[in-house]
Amino acid sequence: MVHKSADKKLLSELRSFLGDRARDGDFELGLYAKDGSVLKGDPMIVCLPTSTEEVQQIILACRRYDRPFLARGSGTGLAGGAVPVGDPVVIATAKMNKILDIDIDNRIAWVEPGVLNLDLSRELSPLGFHFAPDPSSQQVCSIGGNVANNSGGPHCLAYGVTSAHVAAIEVVLPDGRVALLGDLTAESPGYDLRGLFIGSEGTMGVATKVAVRLTPNPPEVRTLLLDFADVRDGAAAVSSIIANGLIPAALEMMDQRAIEIVEAFVNAGYPTEADAVLLVELDGLPGGVEHGVEVVRAVANRHQVGSVRVAADDAERALLWKGRKNAFGAVARIKPDYYLHDTVVPRGKLVEVLEKVYQIADAYDLIAVNVFHAGDGNLHPILAYDSEEKGVLERVQAAGRAIVTASIEAGGVLSGEHGIGLEKRDYMGMLFSAHDMATQDLVREAFDPDGFANPLKVLPSGSRCSDSFGQHVPDGAWV
Amino acid sequence: MKNVPIDLPIPTEDLVSCVSCGLCLPHCPTYRVTQEESASPRGRIALMKQAHHDGVVDDEFVEFMDTCIQCRGCETACPAGVQFGSMMETTREALATQTRYQPWWARLGYRTLGWQKALRAGSALIALLQRFRLVPQKLGLPSIPIIQRPLVSSGNDVWLFTGCIMDAWMRDTHRAVQRVLESTGAGIAFPDKRANCCGALHVHAGLAPEARRLALRTMQAFPGDAPILVDSAGCGAQLKDYGHLLDSDAAREFSERVLDVHEWLAQRLDDLPEKTGLSPRIVVQDPCHLRHVQRAHESVYQVLGRYVEAVSLDDDGLCCGAGGAYSTFHPQIASDVRDRKIRAIEEIQAEEVASANPGCLLHLRSGGLEVRHPLEIVDGLIKKDE
Ligand SMILES: Cc1cc2nc3c(=O)[nH]c(=O)nc-3n(C[C@H](O)[C@H](O)[C@H](O)COP(=O)(O)OP(=O)(O)OC[C@H]3O[C@@H](n4cnc5c(N)ncnc54)[C@H](O)[C@@H]3O)c2cc1C
Ligand code: SF4
Ligand code: SF4
Repeated sequence: MVHKSADKKLLSELRSFLGDRARDGDFELGLYAKDGSVLKGDPMIVCLPTSTEEVQQIILACRRYDRPFLARGSGTGLAGGAVPVGDPVVIATAKMNKILDIDIDNRIAWVEPGVLNLDLSRELSPLGFHFAPDPSSQQVCSIGGNVANNSGGPHCLAYGVTSAHVAAIEVVLPDGRVALLGDLTAESPGYDLRGLFIGSEGTMGVATKVAVRLTPNPPEVRTLLLDFADVRDGAAAVSSIIANGLIPAALEMMDQRAIEIVEAFVNAGYPTEADAVLLVELDGLPGGVEHGVEVVRAVANRHQVGSVRVAADDAERALLWKGRKNAFGAVARIKPDYYLHDTVVPRGKLVEVLEKVYQIADAYDLIAVNVFHAGDGNLHPILAYDSEEKGVLERVQAAGRAIVTASIEAGGVLSGEHGIGLEKRDYMGMLFSAHDMATQDLVREAFDPDGFANPLKVLPSGSRCSDSFGQHVPDGAWV
Repeated sequence: MKNVPIDLPIPTEDLVSCVSCGLCLPHCPTYRVTQEESASPRGRIALMKQAHHDGVVDDEFVEFMDTCIQCRGCETACPAGVQFGSMMETTREALATQTRYQPWWARLGYRTLGWQKALRAGSALIALLQRFRLVPQKLGLPSIPIIQRPLVSSGNDVWLFTGCIMDAWMRDTHRAVQRVLESTGAGIAFPDKRANCCGALHVHAGLAPEARRLALRTMQAFPGDAPILVDSAGCGAQLKDYGHLLDSDAAREFSERVLDVHEWLAQRLDDLPEKTGLSPRIVVQDPCHLRHVQRAHESVYQVLGRYVEAVSLDDDGLCCGAGGAYSTFHPQIASDVRDRKIRAIEEIQAEEVASANPGCLLHLRSGGLEVRHPLEIVDGLIKKDE
């Protein structure tokens, strides 16, 4: 509940146009304190707008009362991007969930930011189209969140991540103006402000409408499950498949622990004794797909594959994918909490980094589970733990840092698709020089000179001052 | 009520099993129609955690718990295996025993369900009013006979559970089910009046002590070891849960004997009469208590599929909003949830809807759809063939 008189005034002003969609009940505020990560913040007020105008009015009111604000989609982010720090007003877009217009001729759909990714694809499916980015959280994550995090998914190996599928965005800028970034033409002149906004994690304003590009559904799809007695063979097969000139629609890997928990949830017949499995999807014209299947078979045989299972029908395909897409959540079957990294390493270094991950987990007495987008070298090492255990958080953080270090040393980067948010913010200095970060801060300042939009995220505070590294996520934010 | 102390006896390991990934949100009917975190499984679990930790609740908390339909769609969707149903039942029981949740008039209403005379008298009154057209059509109530013909046992191969509201209002459905069961050569036994309420609605309302009393009474009505068949998904789910509710060997043995009628028939498809003639196209609505709780909804398609073209809905088994007594207490959410279901049903061109749960059936009918129990449809087709 708000206590200070200035905040009370802000609340009553918000209520004057939002009615009961501006909330400050203690129980309810607690529900917007977290996203899918392990961090927890403290919202001041939660607003549930239904239109661009309302978002604009909220931002203007926040400015008048000197309160920062924070956009929230479905709260599935894994880096704490939607975790409120610095007592912000939360602007939850969940009620802005209308598909406004589907234009098949131009292959564009205008949607509100709270539309759920899978709802959009399901709506498009009878028309023969879908929205290509398919994060594993696709059934629940919002298009606004996808844009803000430039999210990827299994099928982004062949189709590209969100930025390749968004033509234009209507945003309310941190100063309250409404702007249209990008346009519907293929090549627009001038700076690509649309591209800049995508992946900005809510630090450059709130997206209120998104023009997404529609991708035709492939005429033919084949999904293969390959199992390996040694995870190294699996990883080597990944490189060989791509080296053979094949770009599968998706190329995912799960290690033994992941297979076990996933199978317990879906009963899809995943081989629980295998050391690793690859889920390979090929799509396109029937002839090409059949050829691809043969290439994958041949490569797999060269890498001591145990068996190759080709899904017989859509139901079987769906079940296999359901397993893969629910893997993070299923980690709770091992331990109640997980901390997850999102580094990208060159494909050729997959085996090496994976082995390091297991060694690091062992050294810190933690359990590592690996399920990841192998095709583009995007690792998702998950450390499973129980936060009730004494001293475990320090071990998890130290192990996380070691994993990031190992990935960067192998020539990789800090984040593939989950964003930096709050959780990975303090690692930025491991990848970027102070000068790099100061330049990034200048870009941010161009959009938000007064620091109203999602403060304290992405860049360590004071990135323009030389020594920023080593600042930590606020105490008590880890849960 | 403001900051009322409460002791929420949910085991900590259950509370922490939720990793707040949110994958359950789109499978929750109340989240779907409100887009409110407080009306989502993830939100409700977070609230339980908070109440468990702080030891106090208020009206806001009670409302967030009370708007849950207890459909358990979230359990099917949850990769972490969170036991939402039992957490919600524990929460409601704690609220009902430690706070003013469930006022006296609601408790009295629930009591009537297990009290055959009162239920009969009430039903006769509705029947009478129906004759004078004083009961609005949109309530979707079946035409209730003023005088009920008794159900007649035909053997003792299997029991057919009769229940409270269903027996009072939809006894003809029991008769149709009996005929279909008999067509396999089985003799059907009906229980005496001790089995006239399973206690499901009481558990949902947090009135577990009353439910336990009804459970003990119900069990006495089914001597021997013949299978106990149930033609109401909600009651079936409850009877299968007696082992857990009463935590006794006798109750566990009883629960083992319980099967949904379709489950039993699906094992004997060849004993059912042959199909002749045309197959009408029927949309099947999966009752939550059959799909998410009993996980036995496939059997409906197996049985019905022998006689009709049974089409499933493309909505992941999202609840229809009936939820036992829910639609009475939360008419707005219940009808918003139903609207979604009706849209999904109407997208499929079909002649009729089949629902294996009387609550869903009545709720969908009051939304203007033609709905029958799957076995009433089968019964009609078998009879035509004879
Ligand atoms: C089980 C699971 C699997 C996942 N799998 C993947 C995966 O395969 N690939 C992947 O990339 N990610 C994955 N994620 C992470 C996450 O789902 C994505 O980052 C997703 O895009 C976040 O969407 P959201 O709606 O939940 O956003 P939120 O978590 O609510 O917000 C994320 C960020 O976006 C900002 N934001 C939200 N809406 C707006 C808006 N309208 N305008 C401006 N800023 C906004 C927030 O401020 C925040 O910084 C997964 C998460 C889970 C829990
Ligand atoms: S209940 Fe299950 S699916 Fe829902 S948020 Fe919790 S862990 Fe995820
Ligand atoms: S039981 Fe049903 S209504 Fe209740 S939280 Fe779960 S999905 Fe939502």
